[in-house]
Amino acid sequence: MERRDFLKNSALASSLFFVPNFVRAFETFDAQSMGYKRLVIIQLSGGNDGLNTIIPYNNDLYYKARPTLAIKNDVVRLNDDLALHPSLKPLQNLYDNGELSIINNVGYPNPVRSHFRSMDIWQSGSSSDEYLQSGWIGRFLDKHGKQPYNAIELDETLSLALKGEHFNGIATNDYQTLYKTARDPYFQKVLNHYNDQHLSEHNLGYLYKNMIDAKSSATYIYEKTKVKLSQEEYPQNKFAKQLKNIARFINSGLETKVFYNALGGFDTHANQQNPQKRLLSVYAESLSAFIKDLKRNGTFEDTLILTFSEFGRRVKQNAANGTDHGSANNVFVIGKNLKTAGIYNKLSSLSDLDDNGDLKFTIDFRQVYATIIENWLGTSTEGIIGAPQETLNFI
Amino acid sequence: MKHEHIKHLYWRAGFGITPKQLMEHSNKSRAEVVDTLFRTSESINSLKIDLSEFKNLDVMTLKSKPKLLKELAVKSRKRILDLNTAWIDKLVSSEEVLRERMTLFWSNHFVCGDKSVVHLQQYNNTLRRHALGNFRDFVKAISKEAAMIKYLNLKQNKKAEPNENFARELMELFTLGAGNYTEKDIKESARAFTGYFNRFDGSFRLRKFQHDYGLKTFFGETGNFDGDDIIDIILKKRQCAKFICKKIYRYFVNETISELHVEGMTDVFYKDYNIKKLMHFVFTQDWFYEDRNIGAKIKSPVDFLVGLSRTVPVNYKNKKRLIKLQKLLGQTLLDPPNVAGWKGHKAWVDANTIMVRLKLASILLNDGMIALDDERDHMRRQFFNKNKGQLPMKTSPNWDRFQKNFKSAASEDLSSILINGKINKGTMSYIASMDKDSKQTFCVQLMSLPEYQMC
Repeated sequence: MERRDFLKNSALASSLFFVPNFVRAFETFDAQSMGYKRLVIIQLSGGNDGLNTIIPYNNDLYYKARPTLAIKNDVVRLNDDLALHPSLKPLQNLYDNGELSIINNVGYPNPVRSHFRSMDIWQSGSSSDEYLQSGWIGRFLDKHGKQPYNAIELDETLSLALKGEHFNGIATNDYQTLYKTARDPYFQKVLNHYNDQHLSEHNLGYLYKNMIDAKSSATYIYEKTKVKLSQEEYPQNKFAKQLKNIARFINSGLETKVFYNALGGFDTHANQQNPQKRLLSVYAESLSAFIKDLKRNGTFEDTLILTFSEFGRRVKQNAANGTDHGSANNVFVIGKNLKTAGIYNKLSSLSDLDDNGDLKFTIDFRQVYATIIENWLGTSTEGIIGAPQETLNFI
Repeated sequence: MKHEHIKHLYWRAGFGITPKQLMEHSNKSRAEVVDTLFRTSESINSLKIDLSEFKNLDVMTLKSKPKLLKELAVKSRKRILDLNTAWIDKLVSSEEVLRERMTLFWSNHFVCGDKSVVHLQQYNNTLRRHALGNFRDFVKAISKEAAMIKYLNLKQNKKAEPNENFARELMELFTLGAGNYTEKDIKESARAFTGYFNRFDGSFRLRKFQHDYGLKTFFGETGNFDGDDIIDIILKKRQCAKFICKKIYRYFVNETISELHVEGMTDVFYKDYNIKKLMHFVFTQDWFYEDRNIGAKIKSPVDFLVGLSRTVPVNYKNKKRLIKLQKLLGQTLLDPPNVAGWKGHKAWVDANTIMVRLKLASILLNDGMIALDDERDHMRRQFFNKNKGQLPMKTSPNWDRFQKNFKSAASEDLSSILINGKINKGTMSYIASMDKDSKQTFCVQLMSLPEYQMC
């Protein structure tokens, strides 16, 4: 056996020196930091009923439109007009501390009332007549991402939001298992032999590229994450468990700029009260534990939490004690140093609705994105958000 | 017919092929092979599990017995898992491969989920019955299915307060595609579907007092339309035939649309919406067998699991693990993510699912071990044997069946049988270096390559 071959086949082969160049490009740790600021995005899937979330409790029109659905008891009053759903009580504290900003009537022109289309619009950052194949976070990664783990979705599959034109975030709901699987030496052998510079141009190349990404990201996330840092008590549900993992990642100082987590089930066409009550309670209690965890570890200051849903629901309830798909909805921004905390803007009129009987939007969701990109992530929106947007004043 | 082409046909129209079947077809012409494929799928064998515990019940009894109702809901949830694994078993063992492939395709077109196992089983068999039938009858049957009536809120669609959910998805997802109708068309057609209701046993019932018998104006036509009329009016549009053909092309041929080929398909389909004729047309075209289509598709999790089991039958000690597997891979049958279904193609794979896929064959077939063909293998074998109790699932692979089916195949031919399309050059040189003494070991190695994920 020649010396060269011997080296190649020996245990030393695990050193990066013998890994083909293109693999190394993926695996090289980039010391250049992306800054400390982190964004956590929480998606309430299915179209959360915003009117029963931030409740216009002093408005007769609200009670009229919702004879059986209006929430009358135990609302958490924020000011003379608006109150939180009773399940959101854990957020009151944040509101009082100036750590929560509620932005009303967020939407876009010519709203689409299909879940998938509207979710795609929100995730891709497109207008309603534009079909984009990449997400707004994905395009941020295209410009500034170095590694798939720069954006992590706590799920089994990756959302459009985290898919760029050339660069994808990583989705994992179980980073420990991912790591153990990725370590199989057979895969390393296959990768050592594989030769193709055009990794993502065809489907097979796409599979190989994902194999490499998975291997390097799994190793990084597993080795860098310190489990002990997050000892806060979390509620027992999947959403809370995912937030707990995000807290671990943040508290361990992972080079991850964006975290993405979803809570589903908000499509309440029938018998809305109990499911929404339960879901909002899962949301608020889990989030509250998460924020405590960050605060205890001194990382809350550098974390901004955005909560949105693909649309709100119709003002008038339907015959099945539920609500149909609507348009504009409220968005929550949670963080330490908000410029405008509390109620950011007034709720749209309940008497001046659009042709479908839905709330009119007054703030474009892309304005919210643009504000976060410029004032929080600290970069220009060029190439990320299509049309120029007037930024808002919440951070 | 060329081996490569038979294999391509059987992967797209079915779930793969064994060397034994391949040999049986190799002397036939393309027309003969395609005819055989359709002939073996002419019969319809329903998916049926034992649901006797849900028989002889009616709404009135249940309303008075809330406790029994709760118990039944729990039972139903459990039975849905049984229905899931029974469906997978059927996909693995059925000889009506084309019918099963079409049923699977339609289940991701007329996407539906439900809590009642009785209605879900009935729905699944409606898909199977119409899978190669007439699309017009199919859409109408779907609109009257109990599971669909609940899934898209037709049950809540009443004259006084129409619920638009079904009407919207009917056009957006089932027939025309987004952008081919107005909000007004949705509102008008929703009125035509008012009063749709199902009985407890799963049969359809029109609640006359909830149905809007008034005039509706839909796509420029005015009349006292009911739901079936609306479907007839939609199907008058060539766009409907084209929308379905595009979807079929992306699923069966290539993810990248060829406008020319889709136009040809639309010409065939628009005539009478006969699904069997359309599929026959696709499978007999030269373009279907072009190199760029062969091995170009990423297997869905179900393609992967079923295809693997058709090569080496796998018996799961605990059937529930098979459900967990589907979840990990991103496709749990009978539990779609939403009414748009699974996106498929590249969306099946990301940095997370690729690892599960690559590792899975070794876990199901070989205690988690993929041989390296070097001096470490002996030690690794001992290690994996010792630790097999810690694997996420216990299985017993039927290697005897594999040996029997692959008897005629030489070891070095295994890669061209198990793998569709081209293999990466570097990977090819690695395969060449493997020692192929054991077909069994080599099979696991091949199934652990990214190339095995293609079909």
